[in-house]
Formats: sequence, C-alpha cells, structure tokens
Amino acid sequence: MSNASLERGIHAFKEVIDAPVASFFSSCVRCGLCAHACLFYTETGDPKYTPIHKLEPLRRIWQQEYSFWGRFAKALGLSKPVTDDLLTEWETLVYDSCTMCGRCSMICPVGNDIAYMIRKIREGMAAAGHAPPGLIGATQRAVTIGSPMGVKLPALQAQIRHTEQETGLTIPVDVEGVEYLLLLSSMEIMNFPEFIAAIAKIFKHAGVSWTISSEAFEATNSGIQIGVSEIAAELVERIVAAAEKLKVKGVISPECGHAYMAIRWEGPNLIGRPFNFKVVHILELLDELREQGRLKTTSKETQRLTYHDPCQISRRGGVVKQPRNLLNMVAEDFVEMPETGTMNWCCGAGGGVSSNERADELRLKVFNRKKQQLDAIRPDAIVSACSNCRIHLEDGLEEYNMDMPVLSLTETIAEHLAGSDQTGSKQS
Amino acid sequence: MTEVTNDAEFRKALDSLDATRQRLVAARFVENVVALCSDKRIARVIQVASDSEAGEEELAEALKAARATTFDCHTRCGSEGDWSEQAGYFVARAATAALTPMAQMPSGPAWQAALSSRMAQTSRSIVTGDDTSGQEVIQQYRILSEFLDS
Amino acid sequence: MSETEFLLWVRGPALQGATIIFLLGVVVRILEILVLGRKPNLAEARGSAVAGGLRTIISRSFADRGTLQRTAFTEITGWIFHIGFFVTLFLFAPHILLFEEVLGVSWPALPTTIIDVTTIITIIALLAVLIHRIGNRVMRFLSRFQDYLVWLVTILPMLTGYIAFHRVGLSPNMLIAIHILSVELLMVVFPFTKLMHAFTLFMSRYYNGAIAGYRGVNS
Repeated sequence: MSNASLERGIHAFKEVIDAPVASFFSSCVRCGLCAHACLFYTETGDPKYTPIHKLEPLRRIWQQEYSFWGRFAKALGLSKPVTDDLLTEWETLVYDSCTMCGRCSMICPVGNDIAYMIRKIREGMAAAGHAPPGLIGATQRAVTIGSPMGVKLPALQAQIRHTEQETGLTIPVDVEGVEYLLLLSSMEIMNFPEFIAAIAKIFKHAGVSWTISSEAFEATNSGIQIGVSEIAAELVERIVAAAEKLKVKGVISPECGHAYMAIRWEGPNLIGRPFNFKVVHILELLDELREQGRLKTTSKETQRLTYHDPCQISRRGGVVKQPRNLLNMVAEDFVEMPETGTMNWCCGAGGGVSSNERADELRLKVFNRKKQQLDAIRPDAIVSACSNCRIHLEDGLEEYNMDMPVLSLTETIAEHLAGSDQTGSKQS
Repeated sequence: MTEVTNDAEFRKALDSLDATRQRLVAARFVENVVALCSDKRIARVIQVASDSEAGEEELAEALKAARATTFDCHTRCGSEGDWSEQAGYFVARAATAALTPMAQMPSGPAWQAALSSRMAQTSRSIVTGDDTSGQEVIQQYRILSEFLDS
Repeated sequence: MSETEFLLWVRGPALQGATIIFLLGVVVRILEILVLGRKPNLAEARGSAVAGGLRTIISRSFADRGTLQRTAFTEITGWIFHIGFFVTLFLFAPHILLFEEVLGVSWPALPTTIIDVTTIITIIALLAVLIHRIGNRVMRFLSRFQDYLVWLVTILPMLTGYIAFHRVGLSPNMLIAIHILSVELLMVVFPFTKLMHAFTLFMSRYYNGAIAGYRGVNS
C-alpha cells in the first residue's frame, strides 16, 4: 500500500490473471444477465453497476497481455490503455458497489465467476493506490495493532471479564491442547460482545474444550477486503502460529462472513501451505454438536423467523444446511425468504462496503432488495450469522421504517439451551 | 426490604415483572449510565421509558429514536474504535432494550437493558483502566430492590 | 471472373483459408487460456471440484426461476436462436452431405419444411435479439462494435442460406457462393471475437462449478 503506483497496479493485474480468468473474459457475450443478479443494479437501474463492467480494467490487461490478437493490437497502438484516470473512475465500481457476494457468479450463462475476478482486480487497484481510505486505514490498523478497528488485548480482556461476571463461567485464554481456538471479529468484540457469553454457555453445555489466544484473537481479514494478499497472508500467519502454539485440533471462525472466507478457503493458499488443523465456522461446529446429540435445547421461539444467508458463509462458503438445521431446533415458525440459500440476496454491506463512508447512501438504497424479500414473507424477526450483516440489516430496517429485531443464530441457540445450571441463562 | 444479592435472584425477579414494570425498571438502569452517552436523544428516550402512562405511539417513537441512536453510535466495521463512544452505543442499546416489546425480546427487555448498561461501564473502564463494572452490578441490585419495594 | 470460377474459388481456396484460420485461431485461443494454468487449492476440500465442474457445464444452461422471471426475453430469444442455428446447421440434408465429405460420418436429416420454418423462426429471434441489444439499457451500455459485428456474421448465413434454398434473385450458383462466403466470414471472424464462447464456455462453466464444488456449493 506504500509505494503505490500505476506500474505496480498493472503488474498486480497481470499476476492475478489465471486460466479461469482468461476463460471468463473469453466467454463473456455481453448478455447483461449479471446485472439482474446484482442488487446494486436492480435497485438503482444504473447499468454501470453491471458486474462484468466493474472488471473493465482487468479485462483490458487480459486482452492486451494474454491474447494473441490483443497483444498484436497493442503493438499497433490500437488498444485502450489502463490509466490512473481509468482506475480512479473504477474505484467506486470495484469497492463501493460490490460486496463480492457472488450472486452474479451463480447466474452468468457462460459460467463466469465474476466475484472471483473482483477479488483479483482489487489486488491491482490497491497496488495502484486506488482503494478507499476507510479500508486502507482498517488494513493498517490490522497490521500494526492486530485489529482493523484498533481493538487491543486489554479491551478484549475487559470484555472477557465482563462476560465471566455475567455468566459465572471462565473464558479460557491461551490454554494449550484444547480442541478449538476461537477467533473473534472486532465487530463482535466492540458491538456484540454477548457473542462471547453465548459461546461460553454453549461450549460448557456441550462439553467442548476451547480457548481464545491473546496473540491472535482477530478473525476479520482486511487484506481480503482491500485486496492485498501479502497483508491477508500475514494476518492468516498470526492465526496459524497461535493455533500451532496452542496445539489445537481446530480453529473456529465466528459470526463474520469474510473472516470465514479468509481463513477457511483462502488461508492455506495465501500462506502457500495446508493447515495442520481444521477450520470450521461456528455454525458448522454447532450443527456437528447437534448431530452428535450434544446440543440440547428447550422451548422454541414463537415469533415468525427468517434467515438471512451471509454471502461469504452460504453461497461462497458452503455453510447452507447447518443454520437451517439449527434454526429448526429453536423455531416454531421458520420461513425461508423467496430466493434463499445460495441464491439469497446480499445485505449490501460486506466486502468493505460498510467500512466505506462514501458508499453509505448507495448501501442504504440497495437495501431495498432485502426489504422486498422481507415484505414478501413478513417475518417478526431476522436471524443471521454475521455481525456486519446484522448491524447493516438493523440500519436498513431503520431507514425503511421496518420494525423487527435482528438476532444472532449462535446467541439464539444459547438462549434456548436446556439446563438451568448457568447464572444468567433462561430458566426452562 | 427486598434483597437482591446475586444475578440468579436478579434475573428471576426481573422475569417475574410484567411488560410495563420491566420497562420502568429498565429505564432506571439506563438512567444510571446515561452520563456515558453523549447523544442528546437518549435523555428524551429515558423520559418516555420512565413514564408509566406513556402511550403506544409515544413509546414507538422513543424506540425508533433509541434504535437510531444505537446505530449512529456504533463503530462501523473497519473504522477506528473509540471505547468512550462505544459506551454511548451500549447506553443506546440499553435504552432500545427497555422499550422493546417483550414478544420481540424473549430473554427479557429489563435483563437485556441491565446487561447493556453494564457493558457501557465496561467500555468506559477500557478507557480509564479501572474496573468499575462490579460496582454497576451492585447498583443495579439496589435499583431493583428499591423498585420492587415501591 | 465468371460465376463458376467464383463458386470454385469460394468452395476451394477461400474455404481452405477460412478453415485454417478458424481451426488455428480456435486452438490458439484455447491454448492461451490453458497455458496460464491455475494454482492448486491447498484448503481442505468439502466437495468434489470435478463433479461440480461437470455439473455446472450442464446446469448453467438453465436459469433459476427468479432470474428467468427477470430476464425472460433474453433467455427465450437466446434459446430459440441457438437451437435454431444448430438445427439448421446440423440437421439439414445438404449440410449433412458436406459433413460426410469432410468427416466420413453422416446422420439423419430433418424434413426440409421443418428446417425452413426453423430458419425463419431463428431469423426472427436474431432480429429480436438485435432490437433488444439496442433497446435494453444494460445491453446497450455493454455492447461494443464487436457485438454488432458478431450479430451480423451470425444472421448472414441464415439469411443467405434461406435465400439460396428458395433460389430468389440471383442464379443458384451465385446464391450458393454468397452463402458459403457468409459462412467463411463467420469462420474467419470467430476466433477473434466472443464467438469463442462456443468452446470456452465449457472451460468457464467448468472452472465456476469446480471452484464452488470444492466448497460444497452447487453453482
């Protein structure tokens, strides 16, 4: 991010182009279907938000560097170059109007994985100095402080003490040889610290041995969002080092979308070697416990609930059935959104969009898509499993005068645990 | 005088209250930490929450204001967190809980308001370095005891 | 040049030249993609990439219900002209004879009346596609010179073929020469344009399905 220049940006664009990218650009027939998959287009009607269009700078580099005819045309001076001006123009398309939700990738008739390419184009944009300031700040804090929001260990320790007082349970820190290392997103530590209490209760109930690491507690990976793989790799290395030091069997990714994508799917590829521990999303683990009969719940939510699929966990992450299994345990009236599961609509705030104040107006405008989904089924409350989706859903509901709470799935499970031996837990 | 000395008793007593009484006692919890929130809207919200005669429309308006304050005070994902501002966020969450209908908050609005108020103190303590959250808990027990006796 | 000479040239050197450009061009374009390769995936797999890839090659031809509702016109006209094009290309008796000459295999033809009707429907669909490309906000925004060129070289063989079959206007020799020339134009333009999707979509759909399948998602 320091030494940003157009030259470095173009070099990064070249580096990220692989066979899939080349096949995608070769196959695009400009049918425009991807626009209809993207809430940034459907809610604004502005064709510049067409997903494949957001990739124009990368497409030009592909054509001019990796196709015979394109190289020939470039040599003759017939091709349109990638300039700083072009990247300035594209910055808002690549960062403000895309969450890498991947819905376009599910719909393109020729099979283009556009979100895959957005992740890659950000590498070039960032290297050329064209990333939003909010994201740059977050990434710098992540590297120097260990958290994109500047959460330091004493703050986490204060939250832990509070949780211990509230629950009467000890929160294990730096315990070796346990089954799982729990990561936490700064969003959870700052805005939804009750998540820690929920985990503590559930794990005591189910008999899971776990710990937090004082050296690597952060789940969020800003490197992924801004598109700087070296930084993303460094953040992953910290977690790997902690997991290996504590000799855990698995690492748990909490309720944060991009954190899961970063550690579960990108992690080993970023650092260039497989992990010698498992990575699970908290929902995967909870569902495993449910299957093993170690998660006993009592009483059910009677209010009409629906589930918002966080894109990076569901469509891009593959954790689709588990939240539904868990919700069916604790909900009497669970109704799916129209277009659900891997085809659910993005909340509009992931992938760095909510960190970017410049994108606020657009982000709230496109929430209208989620609103329409909710209007169709009229739930009493929304359940989800990503802190960023959660806060943004709350913001959007407020903006559109819709009165319904947004609940965390993990916290909801914790509320319904059977057994009355925990201080503060609901009596059954 | 009704003595509340631990969280088990505290929670049990809160759960036994009806919707209006939960709101009233919750409002007192919030009032105890209101100084930690710099947003002016909260004072008005607490006023409405504390009014046993408050009408449905008034309560709905106050809830809306509390939610808006909560969102405005939160630290957005990726931005630099300020724990004294976060204290205000938790105060706003406590106010929101106080005004949320019981049907929407099965774990109990008053209990949630108490927890969020404690979190507000914890946030402040992250800044100051001294741990006063234990004191807040004791104060809440006293507030509830006084409330139950009134 | 007399008509016969023209026809001989079209069927001879021109066809050879066009075929070479077509085959060489397609191979080069495909190799250009493959040679870039992709890094192996070091994350623990949840599902099968290969199964996912193969599945998506087929499944991606069919849109989900929500998308279909939003983009019915594009989907329907797209299906019609693609099917119509392939039907007229592969199931018309004179074409099958040509394939037999080149490949040594043949297969049953559809009655010419059906081919005739199919051609008309395909031409209408292609006209609808052009109008849509110009009239639709998103498509107009995305379209470049190449998109219109490709449309032209696709409809020309349909039109000239229809006219040649019905022997309207010019002599049969001339009509057939023009038709074959229009096909050669298509072949020559093919490797330099999005027409490559006819081959590369197998790759792009595969990669898409493989990436998703590895994570346990059906895409």
